[in-house]
Amino acid sequence: MSGNTILEISHFSKTYGNGRRAADDVSLRVEAGDICGFIGHNGAGKSTTIRAIVGVLDFTEGEITIDGHSVKDEPMACKQITAYIPDNPDLYENLTGIQYLSFVADVFGIDAAERQESIRYYADLFGISDDLGDLISAYSHGMKQKLAIISALIHRPRLMVLDEPFVGLDPKAAFTLKEIMRELCEQGAAVFFSTHVLDVAEKLCNKVAIIKQGRIIAAGTMEEFTEGHSLEETFLEADGDA
Amino acid sequence: MRDGFLLLKTLLLSTSRRNIYRYCRDKKKRRKVVGNAVAMTFLYVMLIAYSLALSCGLGVYGMIDAAPAMCAISVSAIALLFTLFQTNGYLFNFRDYDMLLSLPFKTGTVAACRYLYMYIRDIPWYMCISLAMMIGYGIFARPSVIVYPLWIVLSLFLPIVPSLAAALIGFLVAKLTAGHKKTKLLQTVLMFVFLIACFSSRFFIDSLFRDDKVQETFEKTSAMSGRIAGIYLPAGWFSDAVTRLDIGSILLLVGTAAVLFAAVFSLVGRSYRSINSALKTQGAARRPRLSGQRRRGVVTAIAFKEFRRLTGSTTYMTNAAMGIVLAALLGVVTLVFGFDKIIAVVTKDAPLDAAMLRPAIPFIVYFFIGMVATTACSPSLEGKCFWILQSLPVEMKTVYQGKMLFNMLLTAPFMAFSTLCLCVSAKAPALDTALDLLLGFALCAFSTAWGCVCGVKHIQLDWENEVEVLKQSPAVVIYMLPNMFVVMGLVVLAVFLGTRVDHRLLTLLWTLIASVLALLSYRRVLKLSVRRV
Repeated sequence: MSGNTILEISHFSKTYGNGRRAADDVSLRVEAGDICGFIGHNGAGKSTTIRAIVGVLDFTEGEITIDGHSVKDEPMACKQITAYIPDNPDLYENLTGIQYLSFVADVFGIDAAERQESIRYYADLFGISDDLGDLISAYSHGMKQKLAIISALIHRPRLMVLDEPFVGLDPKAAFTLKEIMRELCEQGAAVFFSTHVLDVAEKLCNKVAIIKQGRIIAAGTMEEFTEGHSLEETFLEADGDA
Repeated sequence: MRDGFLLLKTLLLSTSRRNIYRYCRDKKKRRKVVGNAVAMTFLYVMLIAYSLALSCGLGVYGMIDAAPAMCAISVSAIALLFTLFQTNGYLFNFRDYDMLLSLPFKTGTVAACRYLYMYIRDIPWYMCISLAMMIGYGIFARPSVIVYPLWIVLSLFLPIVPSLAAALIGFLVAKLTAGHKKTKLLQTVLMFVFLIACFSSRFFIDSLFRDDKVQETFEKTSAMSGRIAGIYLPAGWFSDAVTRLDIGSILLLVGTAAVLFAAVFSLVGRSYRSINSALKTQGAARRPRLSGQRRRGVVTAIAFKEFRRLTGSTTYMTNAAMGIVLAALLGVVTLVFGFDKIIAVVTKDAPLDAAMLRPAIPFIVYFFIGMVATTACSPSLEGKCFWILQSLPVEMKTVYQGKMLFNMLLTAPFMAFSTLCLCVSAKAPALDTALDLLLGFALCAFSTAWGCVCGVKHIQLDWENEVEVLKQSPAVVIYMLPNMFVVMGLVVLAVFLGTRVDHRLLTLLWTLIASVLALLSYRRVLKLSVRRV
């Protein structure tokens, strides 16, 4: 295994009770410094793959490793260095924003000074510092998304996995998130995210993978993949061919 | 250990009403929190009063030594049932599963914390019974001072064994059904089987000692408690610990709870993720077909949506449909074994015959049917989807009419079936049967409308888990407990008055009262719905 490989998925498959394969022999590699976009139709298997990566979904076929640790055999080691932001974060509605962030910081064992600095920095960036004392139930969808992003950044993850992260974010927050993703990668981490917004993927990602009916139909660097065309054109072409 | 404590603390904080009161800026919501706390306190006081009266009754009749065993059995039985109802929802199939499992927690820690969270939330109910019975025991037995702290501490351990047993049953049900095409149906059926087995166990234990000829009810109950304590060892250990200060019993009770806890969660932790994965992806595994499209009226469409909501959740189904299943079962059992025999078993050979109990038939059936009204919980169960109803071009009163129609369609046929079975078995004349059916329907209408009043007035949309609504929401508790106590009183009153007044006239009078109350409740729902638009 490469020392720079942060996420490696090898022949991962997930079959449901009725025999339907939500993910079929998925193999991918994300290196340190990569921002990898994961593209596909609704129901193509993106969320299934993401949930398996972050250790939420049980699987028997294939192997997924994060920084050399097996998700199946060393889940705790994987989770310590991973951050996950689901598409519709279910946060504890009756906690205040700061109570939730403190909980996550406690889970990762972040000391008081570091967490304070981190929370203040990111909350200011996303413009929710004044709302952290309110109950999460009073937050809008976008604010909840911002809170989930801050909670994911508290422990400085090596791998950030995001499911449709830009849905519900205002333009400024979306820009901030993209900047944060770039910064993380410059510091040697990797980002793996699913999206339907091909323009964003094209501008932000250096790698891309397309999944259709559970199978990876195309994957590679953005340059290799698009070969001078737009990502949208290439995606539609690949989607039609497969 | 640190992780477990942290998670448990956060789970409790996340559903803490105090936290909402402290940080919520919405005054209306804060007032609601206070109102709910007052309502819950009232119910706790009712339970304390009932338990205190029971232990004082034992004391008055010179049987106070049976109080600890009776306390242990009552707490254990409630813990078993509460946990059985809550396992699916608290331990499995919970909303924050993805968030928790993506954090660095061991699956065993998550499972154990979810169990402890469920246990701690139910502790007030257990302690109300236990502390009230301790006071009664203290007044009549005058034990040494050490008994009081010992009683309190051991009361915390008492519910652990039965609730762990219930959690284990829930785990086995989830494990057996996870991944199956008809998971929810199978889960519901299996949970019903276990629940009915629990309800029937009392009669099974009783029948083991049927040869005994004890006359007085208190003596019988006291003697039976002693015998159950002989079979159900933790109850016996508790009794020995507080009556004889037996160190061995204390160690056995505490040790068994601790060992069982470790064993159950080591087992559950191993397949926790695979079970939850299978349960969570069940929807994705389905291949729905677009068929059976039909145009319905608005009220009928809402009623049909309620039906789908009920059958779509095992937790909702087992909680809401338990009463009607028990009523149907009562009907069948009575038809098979005979009304007289059932009376003899239930009343432990009390001097009551079928003719005396006949006027109470609709109330007996209603005791089960009215146990839960879907209208009490369904407004709150809309939760975050309440906006769908609010944004539809229908008035809220139409929405509640749909919910009430569904509850009537759910309860009335079972009411009719069970009443008919009991009447046939009791050889009631046709006119009596018709009047009983009429009263039954009036009671169903009252239960439906009154449940809806409670549901709308105490609507709670910001829940984390539907078990919170189904088991602990003020709407359900305010509907259920007074309803049950009043019906128990009405059974006695109907039997008493039936021996003195013409029972047909009496049934008509009950029907009239129930109908008026149903109408008043219905009008109240309409008023409340206008206020909420």
